[in-house]
Amino acid sequence: MSDTVMNPPAGSMSRGNRSDAIFIAGVIVVGAIAMAQPWLGVSSYFLTLIYYVAYYLALGQAWNLMSGLTGYVSFSHGALAGIGAYAAVLSLNGNLPMALALVVAAIATVAASLIIGATALRLRGTAFTFATLFFQELVLLLVRKLPFTGGSSGLILYQIIPVWIAYVMMVTVAVAATIAFALTRRSRLGIRMLAIKGDESAAAAIGIDSTRLKIILFCASAGIAGLVGAVHGIFVATLYPEVIFSVDLSIVALAVALIGGVGSAAGPIAGAIVYVGLREIVQVVAPGAHLVIIGLLLLGIILFLRDGIVPAVGRLVSRKSSRSSTSGRQP
Amino acid sequence: MTLTLALQLLVNGLVNGGLLGLVALGLALIFGVVRVVNFAHGEFITLGAYTTFLLVTRFALSPLIGIPVAFLVGGLFGWVVHAVIVSRMTGRPELDVLMMTFSLSIVGLGLFALIFGGDFRNYSEGPTGSIDIGGVVVGWRSLTALIACVVLGAGTLLVVQRARIGLGLRALAQNRDAAAACGINVPASERIAFSLAVGLAAAAGSLVSLIGTTTPTVGHYWVLDGFVVVVLGGMGSIGGALLAAFAISLVNSFGSYLLDDAWARIITYLLLYAAILLRPHGLLGRESAS
Repeated sequence: MSDTVMNPPAGSMSRGNRSDAIFIAGVIVVGAIAMAQPWLGVSSYFLTLIYYVAYYLALGQAWNLMSGLTGYVSFSHGALAGIGAYAAVLSLNGNLPMALALVVAAIATVAASLIIGATALRLRGTAFTFATLFFQELVLLLVRKLPFTGGSSGLILYQIIPVWIAYVMMVTVAVAATIAFALTRRSRLGIRMLAIKGDESAAAAIGIDSTRLKIILFCASAGIAGLVGAVHGIFVATLYPEVIFSVDLSIVALAVALIGGVGSAAGPIAGAIVYVGLREIVQVVAPGAHLVIIGLLLLGIILFLRDGIVPAVGRLVSRKSSRSSTSGRQP
Repeated sequence: MTLTLALQLLVNGLVNGGLLGLVALGLALIFGVVRVVNFAHGEFITLGAYTTFLLVTRFALSPLIGIPVAFLVGGLFGWVVHAVIVSRMTGRPELDVLMMTFSLSIVGLGLFALIFGGDFRNYSEGPTGSIDIGGVVVGWRSLTALIACVVLGAGTLLVVQRARIGLGLRALAQNRDAAAACGINVPASERIAFSLAVGLAAAAGSLVSLIGTTTPTVGHYWVLDGFVVVVLGGMGSIGGALLAAFAISLVNSFGSYLLDDAWARIITYLLLYAAILLRPHGLLGRESAS
């Protein structure tokens, strides 16, 4: 604590940059190791686990980019990912190449997110949260009704795409989303966002155009969610609206960030690993109690840890190191 | 469309609007006084529905007794939840408070699914049959629900507007610091508002079980509409919430007949986004100073 206060701002900034560089390098190395797994003879069960960690991490990081930085809670990231999934599968069925299909998915999701961006983000406070909640319902209703989405019976990807392609793409998206978050948080945009989170009126008073920044960040966040959904659409290859647009995925997106630590780059990593691990254990031990256990875990974290595993562990480490006074700086 | 048909749709809309109004009243009360967006409100509705269902099927009591019992059970439950969980969150950031009620909602959804399974449950006890008023057919169950809604809603408004307790609640909704400075017991007033609102939700759930089917997610769908109403009416505005409840229900009632259920809901949501764009603070809401 006193350490950061004593340091001049420039010094703490460069130290922050160094720890960021180490973090990003670490994420790339771990990502590369994860990507190599299909060729190292790992069981397909283990591969699926890594895939889901990457899937939830990428989605949690997309959520973190908007909600972690601004404090505006989104309940629509599952629906945004679903739009990406539908757009990608429809494009691939229309014989577009893979790369173009992913671009279409991201653009479609950003366009859809503007419904919320243009209306609710002009307001402060909880209006945004409600608008995202209704968006989830609206998209599900529309997908069931629109002529080209296959309705309630779902949508099938005609091509057979090897699973390892979706696996590699998802790990790539997760790594890229984590790095994007870490860089954004340190950037001018990220610092302005934290100012908005702290006190939006004060931020506006010193000349921060909060509405514009919020819309930009939400579009970026939605674009990432769309990419995540597109890759997952290719992975599952059959889209049922009730599954793709179930509110569960939106819950996972924010639960992952909340468990690990909202607004920190490392938070969703810890959150995704804990969530996937816990889900596997719960499925064996108490199959029906999945929601109850996740809910109690979230409640416990909010009430007792306050801001997630990573910040809590950080506090624990810094308390220990300050007790043994001669220890070096913490990264 | 004949006049009789229009009247029939109007009556259907009124019954729905009454229930929605009760739900929205509770939401507005909690948001106005406790400053909490209660995502767990739907699970309190489900609690009331299952309470009544169990009373009727296990103890062979009339569903009419279920309404006050559900209100009391809900009120007690709300009291405990506020004392044990919600009151601990005073002074925490909005994000944390939101996530707290949301986590409660997940726990509730999971518990109901675990205990009762996904079955659709209903019962045939209680008022049956219907009356015919000049071609407009109203089921006795629907009529009972509407009357109960009016009684509960009017009672709540009376308490909030006239009683001494209500004075504290209104003072808190207007300005927390000033209310505290004037000697209003803030924690006690918050607890009263919270348990009253949860009691209303449970009573609404009791009526939902009377006129429809009970599932673990029944409250979840009602509360989604409740949020539409609260946003449309202006956060924390009780008059706006009641007005919006009936407006939404009439749009749904007529829309369902002219198009179908799904399109009626799509239109409702699109109207809501348009309303946010045109009147950002709701129909009767005021721009808050906080």
